Amino acid sequence: MSTDTKRIAIKDGLFAGPLDDLAEVHLCGSKCDTCGEMGLGTFEACPNCGSEDLSLKALGDRGTLYTYTVVRHRPPGNYRGPAEFKPFGLGLVEVDGVIRVMAPLLPDIDSLRIGMPLQLKPYVLRTDDNGAEVVAFAYAATGE
Amino acid sequence: MSDVYIIGSGYHPFGRFDKSYQQIGSEAAAAALADAGVEWRDVQAAYMARMYLPATSGARILRCLGATDISVIDIEAACASGGAALLQGMMAIRAGEADLVLVAGTEKMPRGFMDPSMIYSPWQIELGMSMNPAYWSMRAMRHMHEYGTTHEQIAMVAHKNHLNSVHNPMAMYQKEFSMEQILNSPLVCDPIRLLEICAPNDGAAAVVLASERKVHELGASAIRIAAAAHTISRYSSDFRCPAETMSATMDNLGPTEVTAARAFEAAGFDASEIDCFEVQDTDAFCEIEIYEELGLCPVGEGGRLVEEGHTSIGGATPVNMSGGLISKGEPVGASHLGQVVELVAQLRGTCGPRQVEGAKTALGHVLGAGGNCAITILQK
Repeated sequence: MSTDTKRIAIKDGLFAGPLDDLAEVHLCGSKCDTCGEMGLGTFEACPNCGSEDLSLKALGDRGTLYTYTVVRHRPPGNYRGPAEFKPFGLGLVEVDGVIRVMAPLLPDIDSLRIGMPLQLKPYVLRTDDNGAEVVAFAYAATGE
Repeated sequence: MSDVYIIGSGYHPFGRFDKSYQQIGSEAAAAALADAGVEWRDVQAAYMARMYLPATSGARILRCLGATDISVIDIEAACASGGAALLQGMMAIRAGEADLVLVAGTEKMPRGFMDPSMIYSPWQIELGMSMNPAYWSMRAMRHMHEYGTTHEQIAMVAHKNHLNSVHNPMAMYQKEFSMEQILNSPLVCDPIRLLEICAPNDGAAAVVLASERKVHELGASAIRIAAAAHTISRYSSDFRCPAETMSATMDNLGPTEVTAARAFEAAGFDASEIDCFEVQDTDAFCEIEIYEELGLCPVGEGGRLVEEGHTSIGGATPVNMSGGLISKGEPVGASHLGQVVELVAQLRGTCGPRQVEGAKTALGHVLGAGGNCAITILQK
């Protein structure tokens, strides 16, 4: 699917692949060729060892919940969630056994459990001042 | 290396006041100078810890005491700002550049959650990842999962600290809350509740540091700084704001463990020989984790430590006799020096109902954004 509307990532380098088809969008990591550590997005140097030898790598879409919380109050500042605030889950999702990614969680807050399987859900968060759709991400229960 | 001593301490209460930060900070500085029995014009250098105040706050605050043309430097290291400032003051004396130094911390902060743009990237704020308690809560949730730490044990920390604060004029609340009140207070970020977190507020604290030579010259009563250490966390060792990810493969020592190891080495003794502690209780769970990281108990047993009363006044390892940040509030730049003011009073034996009997050694610990950690160890 292609669209006439331009899409941009909420943070440069966050996603692998074109943003036209959200079903094909993955999180993008930088793997250090020296120490093997994986960071989310792009870096000048490895956040662990400082090496500049980094390779971009798409992360797997599936993960497990390492830990979480439920945010019960509207976060301060420029929060772009629903106009009428609804408590939501926020957690660390372990992906590919190498990295834990901080992400909003879409499952019902009462169903959240450490160890539950989750699946990446890229989505259009908003349209920016130039008419471009801004793509963000969250994790949903598998099969959602 | 030559020893450095605290010869005076003072504070402005923590709370919310209809006063400028200049008034709040200069009152604390004046109180410390009076306590030390020295004049501002005799001070040779000054360091001002602050985070949410404008540039040159230190100069603007201390100018209220007289513009004496000394070096005045603002220090910012998030929640560890006061420890970083104390370390700078100590180094100035050790380097022989000064014999008498003022180290102060001042803050004036709005109510509610802290301004997220100070710490987080715009995209994190848009997605709602910008509440500091969310990060503390995720650590608590994992600890409960791994070690069976309970909601009640977390609430016991808040109960203990609020109870301790009743007799502390520096504290914002000075009010006891029952376990029931704490456990029924609204959830902020699960599992952490409103009466289990600290509030940003206004306050100031200050100490006067002196070289050994100056202590003798003044004939001052002095508390020795046995160690002062400040670090920021190693890679992936501390999931604290504004972290975006953690490694799933590396298990580095956390900032408290690293900073404590440095401080214990400098002091020549560890937590087993320390009589009382003031630690970062931005949330009640955090204190439990710090027990373990300072070595007050094995990993996973922090909940039991508070439950069995070991960290109450009268226990073997009293923690947050002042009431901690949970009851005092956290004026970020002033919080560590507020701990030091309490610990100096404990070592002088002037704490009244919250006194740890016979305290001869004391440790203050702060930890915050970016994995900034500072530890100061004092000895009578």
